[in-house]
Amino acid sequence: MIQKIRVQTIVGPDLKGNGILNDIRRLGIKNITRVSAIKVYRLEGVSEKEAKILAEKLLSESINQRYTMNSTSEESESTSEVKPVTIEIGYKSGVMNPEVASITKAASDLGIKLLACDSSFEYAFYGNLKKEEVEKIIEKLKLYNPLIEHIVKDEPRTLILKGQPGKTETISIRSLNDQELLDLSKDRLFLNLEEMRKIQEYFVKEKRDPTDLEIETLAQTWSEHSGHKTFKAELLVDGKKKEPLIVRIKKEALKYNKNIVSAFEDNSGVMDFYDGFGICGKVETHNAPSAIEPYGGAMTGSGGVFRDIAATGKGAKNIASTDIFCFAPIYLPASQLPAGCLPPEYLLKRVVSGVRDYGNRMGIPTNNGSVHFHERFRARPTVIVGAYGIVPKKYAIKDKPEINDLIICAGGRTGRDGIHGATFSSGEMTADTYTIHSSAVQIGNAIEEKRMFDALLEARDQDLIRLVQDCGGGGFSSAIGEIGETLGVTVDIKNAPLKYQGLAPWEIFLSESQERMIVVLDPKNLKAFEGICRKYNVESTVLGKFDGSKKLKVYFGKEIVGNLDMKFLHYGLPRRVLQAKQPAHLRGARVTSEVAGGSLRGGPQNEKEWIEVLEKVLSHGNVCSKEPIVRLYDHSVQGTNDLQPYSGKNLDGPNDSPVLRPVLSKQYGMVISHGLNPVLNNIDPYRGSIWAATEALSNFVAVGGDYKNASLINNYIWPFPDQESLWSLDRSVDAVVDFMKIFKIPVISGKDSLSSTYRGADGSVIKIPPTLCISVLGKIEDTRKTVTADLKKVGSTIVLVGEMDKNLGGSVYHQVNNLEIGSVPRIDLKLLPKTFDAIYKGIRNGQILSCHDVSEGGVISTIFEMCVGGNCGVNIHLGGVTSSHLRGDRMGSSEVSGLLFNETAGCFIVEVKDEKVAKQLFKNIPYITLGKTQKAPVIDVKNFFSAEVPNLKKVWQKPMKEMFS
Amino acid sequence: MRTKVLVLKADGTNRDEEMAYAFKIAGGDSKIVHVNQLRDGSVKLKDYQILALPGGFAYGDDIVSGKILAIELTSFFKEELQKFIERKNTAILGVCNGFQVLVRTGLLPFREIGKMRVSLTNNDSGHFECRWIKVKVNNKNNSQFLKGMDNEIIWLPIAHGEGKFIADEEILKEIEDQNLVAFRYVDENGNPTMEYPENPNGSLNSIVGITDTTGRILGMMPHPECFVRREQHPNWRRDKVKVDGLPLFENIVKFVKNEL
Repeated sequence: MIQKIRVQTIVGPDLKGNGILNDIRRLGIKNITRVSAIKVYRLEGVSEKEAKILAEKLLSESINQRYTMNSTSEESESTSEVKPVTIEIGYKSGVMNPEVASITKAASDLGIKLLACDSSFEYAFYGNLKKEEVEKIIEKLKLYNPLIEHIVKDEPRTLILKGQPGKTETISIRSLNDQELLDLSKDRLFLNLEEMRKIQEYFVKEKRDPTDLEIETLAQTWSEHSGHKTFKAELLVDGKKKEPLIVRIKKEALKYNKNIVSAFEDNSGVMDFYDGFGICGKVETHNAPSAIEPYGGAMTGSGGVFRDIAATGKGAKNIASTDIFCFAPIYLPASQLPAGCLPPEYLLKRVVSGVRDYGNRMGIPTNNGSVHFHERFRARPTVIVGAYGIVPKKYAIKDKPEINDLIICAGGRTGRDGIHGATFSSGEMTADTYTIHSSAVQIGNAIEEKRMFDALLEARDQDLIRLVQDCGGGGFSSAIGEIGETLGVTVDIKNAPLKYQGLAPWEIFLSESQERMIVVLDPKNLKAFEGICRKYNVESTVLGKFDGSKKLKVYFGKEIVGNLDMKFLHYGLPRRVLQAKQPAHLRGARVTSEVAGGSLRGGPQNEKEWIEVLEKVLSHGNVCSKEPIVRLYDHSVQGTNDLQPYSGKNLDGPNDSPVLRPVLSKQYGMVISHGLNPVLNNIDPYRGSIWAATEALSNFVAVGGDYKNASLINNYIWPFPDQESLWSLDRSVDAVVDFMKIFKIPVISGKDSLSSTYRGADGSVIKIPPTLCISVLGKIEDTRKTVTADLKKVGSTIVLVGEMDKNLGGSVYHQVNNLEIGSVPRIDLKLLPKTFDAIYKGIRNGQILSCHDVSEGGVISTIFEMCVGGNCGVNIHLGGVTSSHLRGDRMGSSEVSGLLFNETAGCFIVEVKDEKVAKQLFKNIPYITLGKTQKAPVIDVKNFFSAEVPNLKKVWQKPMKEMFS
Repeated sequence: MRTKVLVLKADGTNRDEEMAYAFKIAGGDSKIVHVNQLRDGSVKLKDYQILALPGGFAYGDDIVSGKILAIELTSFFKEELQKFIERKNTAILGVCNGFQVLVRTGLLPFREIGKMRVSLTNNDSGHFECRWIKVKVNNKNNSQFLKGMDNEIIWLPIAHGEGKFIADEEILKEIEDQNLVAFRYVDENGNPTMEYPENPNGSLNSIVGITDTTGRILGMMPHPECFVRREQHPNWRRDKVKVDGLPLFENIVKFVKNEL
């Protein structure tokens, strides 16, 4: 029998209930007066007496809660109000509820053995309503995700999951014709006809048909997600043959190997640090899962990228996490949302919650990120998660496995969750994506991952490990397939611990259940390794060993369920030849406005217009303050942060990049930054990509980083690579290669996600703006030689450093004025290294008091943010400007707006003591003295306008404050 | 001999390394010990002078924060803990999740293992919060750990979702009457505050942390272990910054060494 305990908080606000009520109000529904939330526990296999002990000692606290046992909701509600409508929401059977393990453990500590248990929430809705109405409201609110949760309608009779192992099936591929091959592939394998034929050929030669496990293993290994087919393809760009994208990137990168420890070989790229350490970085996207289950998607995205760090070499320690999101504008009218896509507001909130709940629990500081908006991200959101780590260099490279080495699975158990994740994410988004691919959703349990990492690091430090491989996309099939490539392996997946019975062997092999790692050990280290795992409550199991067969041999007990040649698995995939073609709309330049800002009737005409447009820019999603999001993330854990996301008088001035001291007792540090601009990338993939890379490196330099000690990570988030999208991808890769050439620094890691196209049933197609995200990691000798962006002193001189291009195409200024004209800013790459050097030197010798790079929102937004931090103002006088195309003495409103809203990356606003210092620091590069800082928190631009910083600040903070409070 | 500090770790604990480091630079000899090592007897509490419970999410903070670890401690180590606190010159520090564990074991405020008297519950804001805040040391509290910090206003970082201190009226009165409050959240003028975000969670009486009646057990929500050097403060580049977290560790180590 199941004992049901309901726990209600009776002292203090009902936060969950009130939160839901707020959301209901926002929907404009007024007839619900109150919502209360009640936690429900179901305990199986214990007596009522035992359940009572658990209720009192474990499940409720008498100070502020009360509990009831085995009562219906009606009995326990003793208020005089009208009976509420109650609805209980729980996890679907088979979906892991992370709380269950803790309840079972604590009960056992109290001497009570549970057979099974579960927890859920019951919501009571007060007001004059019918149940059906409430159900409709819940659906509108998206209070639960039907992929993983359900409304509990009947009392469950048992919570114990039973099942018989599924059977392995043979697929008669040899007899299929082309159409039948395609039918087999559709919605399951995501392979094209040529690839399907290759598989058919292989099995014809083998004189047998494949098992479901084999065909699924091939499909996942050959998926775009794992196989990177586009990046490896031969290209014909407008008829001209070009080397594969990945070849071009690698070739250029490996020329600059001064700091490289390992690049493109492992789960993350590693660069040299100090004292025998390396630092590593990996940036991933988790777009497809986040599109259908944003909370779980973001969680498992974080979990996955942390595992990439933990599975670098013999294991690195995670020290930072970054999060970068792109959504459709928050207030996108529902009518513009394609069928099967979730609204951006919901996506943003849920993604932020997922990142928060995973990163915080892992104890990994999340200290860098950004949010971008563009209406075409309604096709599919972009969720970019990055992780950074530190590893002693002696453990930074994996050992080569030897014959008889053991293959161990450590960490979480295997369930049905996440099956087809790798293949699914390689597919496009359709109206059916939401329903058909629900099994691709993975659920995260950060604590499982945290204790596994603790155990692995201890095992690494005892030198027990040959290598660690992450079970990411493709699960065992991918991890084991990869590590076994040279020698060959035999595994028995019947040994894999399961969350519940009933999985077919292919499901076990392909499952993307989270928090699992494959570890390779010399057999003599097994006992010691298992001891460490026990210490940390980590389950570890021997799955098999390296056997020298050059085959992937998979058993399920005695039955052989897979036997593939490693060579075919890894090299059988035919290399594609792909055509790229310049899209017509990108042929020839866009209409360029002759005078920057000139098309705007000559710019704002009076102070009121100036302030109006400034407020529009500052409240734009890409510019507004993201502080309410950042405060939800733990950015202080590990105690390493020597340059925090926000600083200044009121701790609300944003900074460019975090500076970390990963070894607490040492002064050296690590700087992390990133840059992207989907809007510019969309207009001009080459210049937009240069802008993104420049922005990323400028953020790095703005805090005091030396670009010569930086490494890059490139992520391409693109629509499906049809000929036109492939053309822009090719241009973007060219930009990255050129960027490396200029700065002589390498890309050391990267990833592509080429499926962000939406296809509607009505034939409508939406492509996201192609997005290059460049992340930067680098080392710095002394974290004390860094600066923040907040203005430090009254009366210091404010200088704009760097060459400003006159183009404003794609700027936020243009966006808020609904202008679609003009070119993307062209960045003077020859000059840029000199600018970076000057800034670096000025910061190192303490002459630059504060620094902030120019980015979205332009020069004036940069200055404004510095004023927020300094809680002060600036007095800008453009009379002295004598740059090539800007003559201060003759500047009218259009020229001034063209300067103040200019977004040329690679330019900086710096605070120095006086003009003399500026002259000395920037003698070889263009700079403009803009004015002086003043105590009054006012931005004065002489002859044009005067704006109160506190008023602007309100406008700038409002959008995210509204969203997250 | 250096003072031996046991930094207790369980699944999901994550501020153990900073805690160990803070005690180390304060003169202690820190060892991070997993609760399983206590359970299998390979490490014994009696060999240590200081027990430190760091922040994190022990066992995922499932059900409520710190609950599962508190149950584990009270189920298996009731006697050892009792002996530990009865020994002279021992100290217990619980920070954030560690504070949550201390109140749920009953060690705070009245040293009654197994009797929970006060609670730390969800922030009034309804969400996790990471920021630097100002707290004032309660000069009426006689704990030696706070020596030399009378009435001082200090900066510390907080990072928690369940930090609202609550107790029923009687208990709260007892805590105040016995001067067990160690710190309070204060506003710009140094006055105790209930305003968000200066009081980030809505704690009653602006309570940040409390001691037991002997002043040898201290629990607090903010993280002194993350402010043991100047550069950890967000504004060390603009303000004169005093390292406010370190003295606490130095005091605790000196106290158990009988040097205060």
